[in-house]
Amino acid sequence: MSLLTLESVGKRYMDGPRERVVLRDASIELDPGELAVVWGLRRSGRTTLLRIAAGIEAPDSGTVRFEGRDLAEHGDEVLGAGIGYCQKAFRWAEGKSVLDHVVVGLLARGVAPAAARASAHEALERVGALRCANSALLELDAGEAVRVALARTLALRPRLLVIDEPVKGVELLERDEILGLVRELADEGLAVLASAGESTGLSGADRALALGDGELRGGARSELAPVLPLRRPAAHRVSA
Amino acid sequence: MHSPVNWALLGLVIERPSYAYELARRFERRYHGALSLSSVSHVYTAITTLRSRGLIEEVAGTRTGRQPKPRYRATESGLREYREWLLGQLDEDRRRQRLFVLQLAALTRNPQAALGIVADYERTCLEQAAKTPITREPGAAINGNSELVERLISEEHRLAVGAKLAWVQYAQRELKARLPETRQ
Repeated sequence: MSLLTLESVGKRYMDGPRERVVLRDASIELDPGELAVVWGLRRSGRTTLLRIAAGIEAPDSGTVRFEGRDLAEHGDEVLGAGIGYCQKAFRWAEGKSVLDHVVVGLLARGVAPAAARASAHEALERVGALRCANSALLELDAGEAVRVALARTLALRPRLLVIDEPVKGVELLERDEILGLVRELADEGLAVLASAGESTGLSGADRALALGDGELRGGARSELAPVLPLRRPAAHRVSA
Repeated sequence: MHSPVNWALLGLVIERPSYAYELARRFERRYHGALSLSSVSHVYTAITTLRSRGLIEEVAGTRTGRQPKPRYRATESGLREYREWLLGQLDEDRRRQRLFVLQLAALTRNPQAALGIVADYERTCLEQAAKTPITREPGAAINGNSELVERLISEEHRLAVGAKLAWVQYAQRELKARLPETRQ
């Protein structure tokens, strides 16, 4: 049993008067220690896929299971406790310090204040953002903001990390450090599902997938874990 | 001058004046897996060609001793032509990509078959992109020219794969629009 399983997931939106298929029959399995990155152009549905995988959004069809549990029934239980969805936007918490921002996430989960501060310090140190602990969130550059967002998520000790475009907006020469950090987290046993709007974000992935026209493609069988064969529509098969 | 080995050797001389055997060793280290010398004598032949074209010259006073090792350095003309040749590689990339699409066009009368090829091409691009190393590890010190070269190669490769992936998306839409069942 895989840690995360998306099976034949479908999602549609109304885009004005038109219906837009964002995901069609998308399947993926992810195991601990595996880093899968989904690449796609703008409006390809990358964020929707990640939100569905994290249990934030429900699919129209298909199932999403985390540790065998259907997120349609248990999504509220596992989001934040098992699944960590990394939120990089701080607009709602701009006035806070970095340390407070990470601590609050733990307090909300019922962690005692002293333990929360210790865990927050540990998480900030892990992602290389301890030097920003007393900075205001507003003062962070893009790279620091990603590290802090990761720290807040990791402080809750998830088994699955879901992160949308971790290197978006990050200064070019710092980008690989962020990618390396995400790779390290996977190497430490975390399952990571990330997205990338640029191909540079695929570096170091165990599995690179492409999302376009609602179809999730690529992802040869992982060496780390068995992967569901991705269904290729009949139209894509080479006729014999 | 068409030989990529000759151009590569000229590049090495531009980087640092060297004698023939040293050039052969530097060539192996730098271009391992990308270009190969048929033998060390290939370097001597290349030096003759580069000298005859005025792209390199012997450094005065280096042909001395019992075992003279004349060193060569690039001329101004060598540096200029090398730059022009480098930029010309962009045309070469374009020619190769055009050739690929022209060859794929042989299948466009059967869009379903072409879509299969494009899907395989996409899968290969994805695999290549994932295999491209992360060149700046967290907290790692950054040392030396060879690391810089590795990073530049890696970045060029990653961005080139990205362009191919975007092309795949476009090609898929064009080909799908030609599928009989999608025509109204």
